[in-house]
Amino acid sequence: MKTGIGVFIAAFAALGASWAGLVLAPALQLGGTKVTTVLNSTEAYPVQRPGEAALGLQVYRANGCAACHTQQVQQDGTTFEVVLTGAGKDPVTVSNLAAGLKLTGLTKEAADAVAKSIADAGGKTETHLNGTGADISRGWGSRHSVAMDFLYDAPVQPGSLRAGPDLTNIGARAADVNWQLLHLYAPRAVVKDSTMPSFAYLFEVRPATGSAEALKLPAGFSVPAGTEVVPTPAAKHLAAYLLSLHADAPLYEAPYSQLAKP
Amino acid sequence: MSAENQNNRDQHTPGEPTATRSSAPMWIIVATLTLLFLGGVYFDHHSGWFNPRVYAPYQTSDQLEAYQPKSGAAAALAKGKGIYENVCGICHGADGMGKPGVAPPLAGSEWVMAKGYARLAHIPLAGINGTISVEGKDWTMAMAAMGAALPDDDLAAVLTYIRGSWGNKAGEVTGDEIKKLRTDMGKNPAPATGAQLMAMPE
Repeated sequence: MKTGIGVFIAAFAALGASWAGLVLAPALQLGGTKVTTVLNSTEAYPVQRPGEAALGLQVYRANGCAACHTQQVQQDGTTFEVVLTGAGKDPVTVSNLAAGLKLTGLTKEAADAVAKSIADAGGKTETHLNGTGADISRGWGSRHSVAMDFLYDAPVQPGSLRAGPDLTNIGARAADVNWQLLHLYAPRAVVKDSTMPSFAYLFEVRPATGSAEALKLPAGFSVPAGTEVVPTPAAKHLAAYLLSLHADAPLYEAPYSQLAKP
Repeated sequence: MSAENQNNRDQHTPGEPTATRSSAPMWIIVATLTLLFLGGVYFDHHSGWFNPRVYAPYQTSDQLEAYQPKSGAAAALAKGKGIYENVCGICHGADGMGKPGVAPPLAGSEWVMAKGYARLAHIPLAGINGTISVEGKDWTMAMAAMGAALPDDDLAAVLTYIRGSWGNKAGEVTGDEIKKLRTDMGKNPAPATGAQLMAMPE
């Protein structure tokens, strides 16, 4: 076996190269990720999921939710918008100038040029930055997802197939725990043409006790009289996890202009 | 026995295939190097050379820095809020209401709401030592020159924030104005009392 050492070196190099590329490089790149703050704010980001929601991540994982749902918003580009905030000493000239200019859907260079021309005329402007892309148009988020969003998740569940909608911000889009539970028990009771399977096995049908937790089922989905549907702890954890999904704060690595809160 | 093997040049064991040496074709070497080069260009173009903060659609850290939303009053207020809460808010309160026996309120304070910013800016730049009257009450706590170490733009953002928050409606302060004030005040300005501040130009 004269070539033994050569085979060993070649195999070692091949495995070592994939280890370096798939383990070492990502660890060096993102291994030091630490809690940061929301852009232009002192608010910490991300925040740890509350206890029930952290348990819900494991229910999400166990039920294979990530097979049909992603948690990653894609962004194709950015667009700038120049907003007139002050007309200065010569309001007529400034407003006529602004009316004749394209103020939305600009590139950075165009936005800077527009802002400068208005500033030269004595007006004041603000330049807003917004993400663009199919996911953002659908209302799934305001920016692309970044590694920071998954900091406290183990394992991360970004998913890769979209048989259902993206869930990055489902906690903001459907912030009602009763809606979430009803949707898990009977998806078509709340979304007419949903293709999601029912997760009825996360619920218990039992003799009615008048419990406050019992689901309020619409007509056509009701259970026999004298019984009620109550969520098991697993269903409650999953609903808490879904409500905790809200990864939309502007960050340094994913900036967009959040309009000042009134 | 195939004809190929019989024609083999190996004389020792006829019929047995042997490995021979031949150099790799030049086109494979060129193609490999080209692919490596294109891969490098791709990474350079899409990942700012493995920078953990650069994601598509941003391509370099310089571009990301340039795209940060920072122009306009809203951004200055937001920046000022961040600095205020870290530096000033500990005593003056995140709500600007002050703390009894610690620091006077800023919300509605005549010092903050003044037409000019010079007296107000003197306080974080030089500190306070002695009595100062705020909203009809005398405060005697000393304040260190908390803003002396802040860059001009940051201090201006803080002053803009406190002059434009909690119902206060006074104008914006720019970094250039703070810079000029700092030059006028000279090195290590002495902390002032309320009466001394009052004697200064507004």
